[in-house]
Amino acid sequence: MPPKPTKVTNQIRTLRFASGEMTQADLAERLRVTRQTVIAIEQGKYSPSLEMAFEIARVFKRPLDDVFHYAAGGTDDQPSS
Amino acid sequence: MNHELRQPGDDDPIVMTAEERSVWVYLAVVVITSTAYFAVVIPRAVSQPIEDVSWIPPMLWTLGFSIGGTIVGSIVGAIGGAMGLAIRGIDPKGQLEGDLRDKDIKRYGDRRAAVVSGGAMFGVLVLAMIGADLFWIGNLVFLAGTVGGIVETTVKIRAYRRGF
Repeated sequence: MPPKPTKVTNQIRTLRFASGEMTQADLAERLRVTRQTVIAIEQGKYSPSLEMAFEIARVFKRPLDDVFHYAAGGTDDQPSS
Repeated sequence: MNHELRQPGDDDPIVMTAEERSVWVYLAVVVITSTAYFAVVIPRAVSQPIEDVSWIPPMLWTLGFSIGGTIVGSIVGAIGGAMGLAIRGIDPKGQLEGDLRDKDIKRYGDRRAAVVSGGAMFGVLVLAMIGADLFWIGNLVFLAGTVGGIVETTVKIRAYRRGF
């Protein structure tokens, strides 16, 4: 399987199933995008805009961190006080 | 006969949006019409003095066919996509029209094509400065349009298929 082009991973598929077996088409309709876009986001082939990311989190009633994760290594350093 | 259309399930095949279909159509049209143009003009350029080569009428025909072919092909593609879904009993609404991802991919592809256009502009400037025949200037612009179109559509198709 080729590497995913984005470093953003997500739990959308899991959250859809946890939300009453919500289909890709249902989520797409709520986000006002195509089903293809939902599929591309789920598969890590497309990073949604920040606004859309918040909309997706709002659909699942979860904080953004529960839905999306940034997988780049070595960027988790906390700023020193 | 049951005319009820249903929402697609997760297991239903993924169809191309109308925008992606248009990109494929544009790629096919650019390749076909440009190949036809060069097939006509290059033999003339090889067999007679450059200043005598008749290249404007074939180029106008090519541009006409390119524009017309892209418009007609895109419309046919969109209708075909909608009919294909409807035949399978799937509601085409929400699956074919463009959205934010299409716009992002368009910008992404257009930026790559702009690099080709920029290079061609420089080439045209050089040709004009050295007083090259209009044949070379016109055909460099045409070639840049062809290469730019192929780069743009290839980048977009890759973005649609593999992500970006």
